[in-house]
Amino acid sequence: MQRWRNALFGVGLSLFGVVLTGCGSPAGTPAAGGPSTSGMITAVGAENEYGNLISQIGGKAVSVQSIMTNPNVDPHTYEADTANARFVSAAQLIVQNGIGYDSFMNHLESASPVKGRIVVTVANVLGYGPNTPNPHLWYNPSTMPRLAPIVAADLSKLDPQEHTYFEQNASHFIQSLQPWTQAVQRVHSEFPGAPVAVTEPVADYLLQACGLSIRTPWAFQAAIMNGVDPSPQDVAVEENLLKQRQVKLFVYNQQAVDATTSSLLGIARANHIPVVGVYETMPPDYSYQSWMVTETNAFYNALKNHSSMVTLH
Amino acid sequence: MHWFQHLIAPGFFQSTEVQVALIIGSAVAITSAVVGVFVILRGQAFLGHALGDVGSTGAAGAALVGIQAIWGFLTGGLVAGTAVDILSRRSREREVTTGVVLSAMLGLSALFIYLITQVSSTTGVTQEILFGSIFAVNRHLVVPMMGLSCVALFLIAFIYRPLLLSTISLETAQSRGVRVRLVSLIFLFAMTMAVEQSALVMGALLSTALLIGPAATAIRHTRRLGYTMLMAAGLALLDTWLGIMLAYNSFYWPPTGRGWPVSFFIVTVMVLSYILSQLIPQPQSKRAQ
Repeated sequence: MQRWRNALFGVGLSLFGVVLTGCGSPAGTPAAGGPSTSGMITAVGAENEYGNLISQIGGKAVSVQSIMTNPNVDPHTYEADTANARFVSAAQLIVQNGIGYDSFMNHLESASPVKGRIVVTVANVLGYGPNTPNPHLWYNPSTMPRLAPIVAADLSKLDPQEHTYFEQNASHFIQSLQPWTQAVQRVHSEFPGAPVAVTEPVADYLLQACGLSIRTPWAFQAAIMNGVDPSPQDVAVEENLLKQRQVKLFVYNQQAVDATTSSLLGIARANHIPVVGVYETMPPDYSYQSWMVTETNAFYNALKNHSSMVTLH
Repeated sequence: MHWFQHLIAPGFFQSTEVQVALIIGSAVAITSAVVGVFVILRGQAFLGHALGDVGSTGAAGAALVGIQAIWGFLTGGLVAGTAVDILSRRSREREVTTGVVLSAMLGLSALFIYLITQVSSTTGVTQEILFGSIFAVNRHLVVPMMGLSCVALFLIAFIYRPLLLSTISLETAQSRGVRVRLVSLIFLFAMTMAVEQSALVMGALLSTALLIGPAATAIRHTRRLGYTMLMAAGLALLDTWLGIMLAYNSFYWPPTGRGWPVSFFIVTVMVLSYILSQLIPQPQSKRAQ
């Protein structure tokens, strides 16, 4: 009896192994994304908002892959896979955020050193120190206008013939941010200093540019961002902001969700505080500009009409 | 009363998180301590620890499909516990089978945790599963957690006599007609409930702290089993309350405004009380085992 049982267990384990290898093989076959054959520059955006910037400036001359694209994943906990490694090893230009937000990119790059590859770390080129507490730089309205000329110059180094094309695209991109600037100005002039609560610092740079006053303690935001428990004291402060209706708007990061944040969402709804869901990465069917305009207008509508916009997709 | 106000930081009893933590923590402490006395007497500390670890597989799976971690912990523990019981008919094989099942389950855990980082927007799941988060336990879980504690304690009470007999001497129990395997399986279920509840509070890695620590201290200092269980429960309660209080107070310690993890304090208090109890002389006559 014992013998049979053991034999069966062994067979079961082997079968389990066969099933696993069977499932594994299709993912292991190489997919698209190798070196381009059409003479286009291959580029990688570590986050799809940077990928979007590269493709708006590079246009027809550049083929862009973005690593973090899924709006249902928390980028802070993301780990690279083999497909990402292939994109990185083939890339001539890489734009990544830095400040620890996408440190897996550094590992991928050092694992496949390529001569002449240009790596733009946004935090470094824009002068943010390594201890900058809030890494979500693309939410700062000044980031992309400063980054666009840098990306255009780097693309020109890789393909000097398209020099003027890249520069035109860059200045066109900067002009196209005008509606966003106006949307920010509108919030700033109509609701100066309006109190808001957030779950996580993702949109903090934008909220500050809008002149809004973030009442959530920084330690609470940092705890949610880093995936550790906020202290009960900070949870009490945050809950009271909502329960006593001390804030006019609750900004909810859809890509950093845990038991604490979902309980806060319930409290905000119960107290009729308008909720705006914000994202770490660009949601599907948006460009960088339309994404930022949509979220900024959602802040405005929440403050003006008490209307919520919880999801973007 | 002035010193008392300094001892406990302001807002302690008003905080909903603290109230939920105190209620659930107390239930977990009592259950773990009572079950833990039998775990030590039966020499099953390794199995107890393994049950906590394999719970992490279930909890990671629960996070993937979006259900409460406690149900994942329980499923993981029950599946692995039953597997160990079925695969190790002779008690000498138990350590080895436990090791094999533990490895298999932890391998799955690695896969699930990787998948979580790729497909879900949940944050800090790994930290929560491995090291617990008593302040973030959903308040709707109070009733189910109390229910689980009651079931575990009821199971122990239900099989108390035969369990005690088969723990002291397997041969005697068998000769008196005790269905030893059934008793051992029921005890395994009670142990799984205690360990997995504790895993939700303390984390999968530390779930055995409350199971082993207070019971070990109590066994050293009491002779009658009833007193042992009472003392273990008392120690576990004191330990949990102190841990929660210190974690709440640590908000004001460096780095100010963060708060240290509860599981760190509970384990520290547990270890300190164990060491302290080693220094106190044992009662003269040894307990009969």
